[in-house]
Amino acid sequence: MLAVLLLLRVPVCLADQVLIANLGVQSDGLSVNNSRLIFSMQIASWPTGESVRVFVLPDDHPTHRSFTKDLLGLFPRQLRRVWDRQLYTGTGQAPEQVESEEAMRHAVANTPGAIGYLPREMIDETVRELQIQP
Amino acid sequence: MKRFVNCRFSPESGRCRRMTVAVLVGLLPAFAAASWPDDVQVHGFATQGYVNTSDNKFFGDTEDGSFEFTELGINLSYRATPSLLFSGQLLSRRAGEMYDGSPTVDFALVDWGLAGDEHHSYGIMLGRLKNPLGLYNDTRDVAFTRPSIFLPQEIYFDTVRNLVLSADGVQVYANAFTDAGTWSFKAGAGRNTIDKNVEINYLGFDFGGDIEPAGLAFVARTEFETNDSRWRAALSAAHAKLEFDAAPTDPIGSGEVEFLYWIASLQYSAEHWSITAEYMEEPIEFRDFGPLIDNRDSTVQGYYLQGSYLLRSDLELVARYGEGFASKHDRNGSQQSAATFGVAPPHVFYQKDFMIGLRWDVTPNFMLRAEQQWNEGTWTLSRRENPLPYLHEKDWTMFSLLASYRF
Repeated sequence: MLAVLLLLRVPVCLADQVLIANLGVQSDGLSVNNSRLIFSMQIASWPTGESVRVFVLPDDHPTHRSFTKDLLGLFPRQLRRVWDRQLYTGTGQAPEQVESEEAMRHAVANTPGAIGYLPREMIDETVRELQIQP
Repeated sequence: MKRFVNCRFSPESGRCRRMTVAVLVGLLPAFAAASWPDDVQVHGFATQGYVNTSDNKFFGDTEDGSFEFTELGINLSYRATPSLLFSGQLLSRRAGEMYDGSPTVDFALVDWGLAGDEHHSYGIMLGRLKNPLGLYNDTRDVAFTRPSIFLPQEIYFDTVRNLVLSADGVQVYANAFTDAGTWSFKAGAGRNTIDKNVEINYLGFDFGGDIEPAGLAFVARTEFETNDSRWRAALSAAHAKLEFDAAPTDPIGSGEVEFLYWIASLQYSAEHWSITAEYMEEPIEFRDFGPLIDNRDSTVQGYYLQGSYLLRSDLELVARYGEGFASKHDRNGSQQSAATFGVAPPHVFYQKDFMIGLRWDVTPNFMLRAEQQWNEGTWTLSRRENPLPYLHEKDWTMFSLLASYRF
């Protein structure tokens, strides 16, 4: 048991995560707060009026954990709590979940208004990188 | 649809109940598997509990162990435009003698966002709306959103859940997104959904007459959450009046019950632990019933302190201490007991409990829980399940298990 606990506490060297969007999205960057609002499903449209489509990996996916923690400054369970609160009171929808990083890139590349995230080395010309402004 | 209607008129029919539950369960995989347009979402949950009490009843014949706690929900939403959302949820809830599992419309609404950007948003909602009360009321039937198998009964008493659960009416909301955090405000007016449990809780007995909402009920909540979601504070309140229309055979006259129910909430969540505290008061006034009931005016009081700790990313330990009183001016129940000439012992007018529990998220969509609770007093127990107060055992324990799946 102790060994398991120790193992879980060891810091893992995680790849650096990048915010990505569909190529059609007219934006180069977002503030941290704006990103939080989008990923907590509280902003439903881009400034142009186009619908935002949010894609996420499963709660226990390492990329999801590191994205929420390092880029949004949240823990996955806090994000889940906000989604649940909206979903089960009928005041919002949950983000769309994809099962792998490849599926994430494919979904964001092929969905107008889409936003998501990937490890930097997964980025290619099919998606737009968004800077997070402090 | 016809089946649901039939059930409404024969809610005690076990066969009908089992059929509707079977229909709901049968629908779940079909709904999940169907391919929906992108702006339509379907979600749902299924929860089964097991409760074993040393004495007294909590959701069924729990002294022998009971599985009479089941929650099934299916949830559909359609974002027609970025500012227009339609959503609804069907709920079947079996809870001992109190709820028989007949499907009900948990909410059905249209949410119209009038304006919204990165600084603020506001809008209006119409339909059957969940009441924003405390941290947990509006999602109280979704096991994944609860901190424990049962919500702290001192504040979220199951005996009158339908009274505060939802209302048919309108709500307006406003959010301000600031550098420090988000301020959220919601206010609503509507007609509450009343049932037999409400009558039994407030009048002490299921009389021949009927209890109905008198006019509109009002609800409001102001909430602040820091941008890192670590701090959450809220103040919420509901006000309602109920009208009791006595039958000729009833020993009490027609009358009115008026109450205000307010909750102050504070929560801090760190990465591996959280602390939550809530405080509630509910001043109740009885009018025109006659002396038997009218002098029962009181201020109900309840509060709890709860802590959770993540042992592992999928294993959470939770502990809570709570106290609740039928009257904050008679916390040991002695005056209220004397008013019944001792028929109801003092310990039916208060409750103090301590619980400890474990939550295991087997997968992000499947969860198991086990809890043990030690109680002094029986104030939060349903009179419907425990009709004779002099038989209430003062010190009792409760062990419960729960499995919940969602999609």
